[in-house]
Amino acid sequence: MQLQTFLADDMKAALSEVRAAMGEDAVIISSQKTKGGGVMIRAAVDEADNDVGEDAQEPANEDADAGQPNSRFRQALIRRLREPASDTTGRPGRLRFDRAQLLTLFARHRLPDGLAHLLAERAAGAKIADMTLALAAAIDASLKPAPIDFTKAKALMLIGLNGAGKTATVAKLAALAQLAGRIVMLIGTDTVGAGALARLEAFAEHLGAESVTAATATSLAERIRDCIVAGTLPIVDTAGFDPRQHKSAIAMRAVAAIENLETVGVVSATGDAEEAGEIAAGLADAGARRLIVTRADLSRRVGALICTALCEKGPFAGLTRSPFVAGGLEVPSALQLARLLIETDEESVQ
Amino acid sequence: MTRSSYRLTAVGSGKGGTGKTFVALTLAHFFAAAGETVLLLDADFGLANASVQLGLGHAGDLPGLIAGRTPFAKAIVHVGAGKDGFDLIAAPAGSGALANAGETIADKLLAVLCNARNYDRIVIDLPAGVGAGTMTLAAHADDALVVTTPDPTAITDAYAFVKLMARRTGGRMPGIVVNMATGEAEAKRTAGAVIRSADAFLKNKPDYLGFVPQDGAVGEAIRRQKTLTTYAPDSPAATALGALAETLGGESRKRQSATSLR
Repeated sequence: MQLQTFLADDMKAALSEVRAAMGEDAVIISSQKTKGGGVMIRAAVDEADNDVGEDAQEPANEDADAGQPNSRFRQALIRRLREPASDTTGRPGRLRFDRAQLLTLFARHRLPDGLAHLLAERAAGAKIADMTLALAAAIDASLKPAPIDFTKAKALMLIGLNGAGKTATVAKLAALAQLAGRIVMLIGTDTVGAGALARLEAFAEHLGAESVTAATATSLAERIRDCIVAGTLPIVDTAGFDPRQHKSAIAMRAVAAIENLETVGVVSATGDAEEAGEIAAGLADAGARRLIVTRADLSRRVGALICTALCEKGPFAGLTRSPFVAGGLEVPSALQLARLLIETDEESVQ
Repeated sequence: MTRSSYRLTAVGSGKGGTGKTFVALTLAHFFAAAGETVLLLDADFGLANASVQLGLGHAGDLPGLIAGRTPFAKAIVHVGAGKDGFDLIAAPAGSGALANAGETIADKLLAVLCNARNYDRIVIDLPAGVGAGTMTLAAHADDALVVTTPDPTAITDAYAFVKLMARRTGGRMPGIVVNMATGEAEAKRTAGAVIRSADAFLKNKPDYLGFVPQDGAVGEAIRRQKTLTTYAPDSPAATALGALAETLGGESRKRQSATSLR
């Protein structure tokens, strides 16, 4: 195998360097943003190994725990992310760039027209023959990945619509923060919703963390100050609200203005794409400085995910795709998002 | 090949210097601590150094065992006291006694291991590289691990190991362990590079088993010729390897069905 590393200002430049240096058969095996704002990608070429052909494939690895629903969803998503699409160009896994076909795929994922045409325009402008890579370059131009740094975070608050997955995300973030060596304190502010506090307390107990309540903005600010002084990371759960309603948005903005509190918007991947985009923008207006997409494992059409990830107003902090607290938060790359849109299992999405 | 009931875990790497020996012997400790009877076999025929890492005066008599001069019980040396102790067998460090060992030696070694009925687990520290003898041992393992670091050279050599093992075994893939990673993101990227290469060129995907973070305690432990489990049992690297040992079995042997031929 021949492996080369390419550094460039953006994805598009890097990809054309790969093509120029290693030819059309090069496979991108990893990509990451560099500190200076550019990208670093690694590409490889190797002779296809026919000695280990089709009959040698052993599905055992993937099927080992295929019985569990979580594992099935995960495997399906991993397949969608990694595996080549059906062969339409003679070479497996590669689709030639075709604007009309790209728009059809976007429609299949219910991407709103505006965003669909913007991405198609940019992908066409990238002048890359491979459709996935062209779209990756287009997505890269809008994607602002902003993973949460749990070692430095001072206080986090999750906001979003009812049922978006705020409380479960609180638990997931708390678990990640614990893994990063932080002591966490869960703060519940929804003192009205039926069972809301009980659920948060159950999560806290499960995580071995403490939980408290704060019924007013003043007491919340006090709690947060206490936590920061003690070196603990407070993670605040809130009652669901619609950021598109002016009054509630203003009220939330006042809470989000509490000193040292970073607000994170939570949007479900299972909703309508256009709505998701509006909600993401609304949450950013209400004070969210990052956005998280939940339930990525439960949606077959990725429109809502893409709309939120590419929201102009809020950087993207990642997606959750597991019903389990230990499932964590993943920050997909532009290439992975492009794969989600293009290399879809045809039968599942029509 | 018939074999007694032990489980064979082989740790290889392709490139040298990825921390194979360190991973193998720390795993051996954890398996032992989990209640298994463990034999660590330093199959780095030419330049065995597990005993050096353990600070032992002698390392057992592997050449004698293979040649039939030394009986099994006398060829091994017990390492450590208490419940995370295990047996070690290797060539004397710095002797070069088995430097030219090829496939024949590997076959003889496997034959000798058939008599090692007293063990629940045998961990083989494979020689660096992808020589015929190395791949024979890897192919016979129940769990084969390939240790890589985030360096491009280690990635390509890990891929070579994956490829040759797949050829030997009709598509079976070793699990990937990323050593000396600065964090989970880098580890996943590194493993992803090997997995994606294998997927593209071999049409099959190895499993990512986990990573060991870069940790000053590791170098310090090796320099002091102490095991990580005694020098810094709570270090991040020790925690990560403990988790890996758990994945590979311990009492539960979760992965048994995934890759085993048996």
